Amino acid sequence: MDKPKPLLSAGTKEHVYHCAKCGLCLEVCPVYRELLVESASPRGKVQLAKHIIEGNLDITRHMSEILFSQCLLCGSCVAACPSGVDQAALFSGLRWRATERHGIPLVKKLFFYVLAHKWIMSSSAWFGRWARKIFSGLKIEDHILLGNLSLAGVPPFNKTFFNDETPEVVSASGGRKGRVLYFHGCATNYVFADIGHSVVSVLSRMGLDVTVPKGQSCCGLPVFLSGDRKTSLKCMEENLTLFARDEFDAVIVDCATCGSALRKEYPHILRELRDLGEPIGADMIEKAELLASKVRDVSEFVAEHMHWLPEMEHRGPEVRVTYHDPCHLLKGQGVGSEPRKILRAIPGIKFVEMNEAGTCCGGGGEFQIEHGETSALITERKLGNIYDVQAEVVATGCPGCNITIGAHLDKTKGIQVMHPLQLLQRALPDKK
Amino acid sequence: MDGKIAQRLRAIVGEDNYLDSVEDLINYSYDASVDEALPEAVVLPETTEEIAEIMKLANSAGIPVTPRGAGTNLSGGTIPHKGGIVIALTRMKKILELSKENRYAIVEAGLTNLELQNEAHKLGLFYPPDPASWAVSTMGGNVGENAGGPRGVKYGVTRDWILGLKIVLADGRIINTGGITAKNVTGVDMTSLFCGSEGLLGIVSEITVKLLPIPPFRQSIQAFFPRIDGASGTVTRIIGSGIVPVALELMDSVVINMVEDSKKIGLPRNVQGVLLIMVDGPESECRRQSSMIEEICIDQGASHVDVAGTADEEEALWVARRAAFGVMSQKLPNCILEDVTVPVSRLPEMIKGIIKIGETYDLTIGVLAHAGDGNTHPMIVTDKRDTDEWERVEKAVSDIFHLAVDLGGTLSGEHGIGLSKKPFMHLIYNEHEFQLLRELKQILDPKGILNPGKITD
Repeated sequence: MDKPKPLLSAGTKEHVYHCAKCGLCLEVCPVYRELLVESASPRGKVQLAKHIIEGNLDITRHMSEILFSQCLLCGSCVAACPSGVDQAALFSGLRWRATERHGIPLVKKLFFYVLAHKWIMSSSAWFGRWARKIFSGLKIEDHILLGNLSLAGVPPFNKTFFNDETPEVVSASGGRKGRVLYFHGCATNYVFADIGHSVVSVLSRMGLDVTVPKGQSCCGLPVFLSGDRKTSLKCMEENLTLFARDEFDAVIVDCATCGSALRKEYPHILRELRDLGEPIGADMIEKAELLASKVRDVSEFVAEHMHWLPEMEHRGPEVRVTYHDPCHLLKGQGVGSEPRKILRAIPGIKFVEMNEAGTCCGGGGEFQIEHGETSALITERKLGNIYDVQAEVVATGCPGCNITIGAHLDKTKGIQVMHPLQLLQRALPDKK
Repeated sequence: MDGKIAQRLRAIVGEDNYLDSVEDLINYSYDASVDEALPEAVVLPETTEEIAEIMKLANSAGIPVTPRGAGTNLSGGTIPHKGGIVIALTRMKKILELSKENRYAIVEAGLTNLELQNEAHKLGLFYPPDPASWAVSTMGGNVGENAGGPRGVKYGVTRDWILGLKIVLADGRIINTGGITAKNVTGVDMTSLFCGSEGLLGIVSEITVKLLPIPPFRQSIQAFFPRIDGASGTVTRIIGSGIVPVALELMDSVVINMVEDSKKIGLPRNVQGVLLIMVDGPESECRRQSSMIEEICIDQGASHVDVAGTADEEEALWVARRAAFGVMSQKLPNCILEDVTVPVSRLPEMIKGIIKIGETYDLTIGVLAHAGDGNTHPMIVTDKRDTDEWERVEKAVSDIFHLAVDLGGTLSGEHGIGLSKKPFMHLIYNEHEFQLLRELKQILDPKGILNPGKITD
């Protein structure tokens, strides 16, 4: 008889024994703060994981619900845990097993299901045509409310996809200081082409040759976090072929989630899959480590090389800007001071720090669609903090947060959500 | 849970506030100590009246009830040892009153300590007790455990700041103790009876606390000592000199080196002890006290003394102290944090004794102490799965308790007795004292349903 497959790798399992049950994760967990019940807390789920690992508890349907509906996988607990427990690795591993047992939850709305699967196919042209026909041509979106997300508040798809309208290589203007690869992710490709153009423009004007590989895939993280590890493996393979290249100085990412995936999750996931007996070659792990070492969030890269920027100009009236830390950027990659450094350096910006800038916006990808009520409570808290500082612009480095915050902001207040690089680009002198 | 009882509990608290799935029962089977026991149901009431209804039901049916807040306590006091119902008060978190003129606040039991601090700060006030868990631990839990914190040297513990309580008794009667006035000697001080009673005598649902104005200035001093005697001697000298520091914290070389391994903040590895001292008050007085403290440190052989000039410098000095527990528990799965207190003058003997106990049983024991009030936290890092070592840990803990009591100290300074220290109560209580405790319990909770299996059983 076949030996039963191990539930989690030995390394991941060990984390449950390092939880001191101190409860300090309760304070930082956006879900616990709203629901105030122990199963919503990271500590609670670690204890449940311990019982599952030790064979006292099945991954019941209710357990599966807890894993999906009471956790955003935002990583706040990982960043705050005094004992160094990696709850995210533990919970995403259990989500995988829960999915194997109970299937992808059927409550997942059709809209999101299609997106998640088609975005994987990246530049699939037929999908583009299909998506535009469905989402731009019809007026139904005005009336659709998906969980906490009203479709009316979500930006429309790009007219043409970013990857199609950008040359594969954009040369440095002025003296060349280096070569970078740009991983633009799905959101920039399909929804936020403007952000992509700002990123390419700023980088090239800093003196960098920017290569934007054709056919880049979804980073795979949203799929992975939904528990579908096999499909995400396909994304990883494609991206490693395109981006794990030593001859470039850095791989620039403008999406907090993609950055977190390429930088932290790929090596971790691949190693874990290998430890669990999946056929993962040593070369693939090596490539993932090479890529991880090259990845820089665009705010981080620009902040480190501010002296390469052309002199900025003050244009138009002063703008009051605040910054929202995406979980996958602050907690996932430790990038928080860098975007602020950029914003403070831009002439014409009055930077104001909001309360709880580093707490989740409530989006969490599909979380806001599947678990709208909880998501709405978290989002409401975030909006209150934004209104309190009377910001005109909320800068943030994650398209997911951009969509969530943007969709819920009171339209009458006229507050915009932008990537810090868009604000930066506006302050650069016109190209001569 | 019996079907009829479950149905009635549901009717009292509402569907969303009643839990009995196996996952939820597991999730209320533990606190921050090592033990675990499953309840049969968990309820999250939202009003005092709901608590009263639950108690009437539990009392008439003779069902055990364990009240709890966020479950950050380290003594096993909120583990439902005899099953039954867990009443979690985390969803009762309103601030009912906050008076600047009279300097008090009335809060519901589930409000966290930090949430109260944040609101009080807006009025220029603060609530002095500051347990390390303050961002998470609830005010009700603080009262139940009589929680302390680093500021205890100057400001004391929870008991010293409670003006009054609203309590639900075992049979569902609701009583109020104390009041909102600063002075109050109307009758016996029942507030103190319930403060620190670990959920054995009643369930605290509302708390009236005294607040203080935020002091105009504060200053922190850090001093490194090549010899541990110099550090502990300095503590005794400072307290003896008439200075009342806000905080006076001590860490030994085990803690210093573990913090440095993990945080790499440039702490010297060859010293045996570091002291962190904070003073507050008018600026000139703070500066005078700081320089007196600096002199004492040097006189006691300090190799290096830093006085923080700015808020950022002060913050930097406290990084190591805040990280201490975390880095200890990173090293190995379990970090047993003990909580014995001795008179300040006996602190040097206590610290040396702990180090010796560590050597005797071949265990890694770090010493962290709220030294200014003699409250010592020996931290034993271990792996409970290593049964041989675990036996030695248990022996070491027992030795530490005996030593503290021999030095005129006590079993717990701020974490309570719970399950973990119950076997050692006889070191402190004689038979008459136990008897009185049991009689009190008998009057207030004749059926013995409140947090059974703890001190009085």
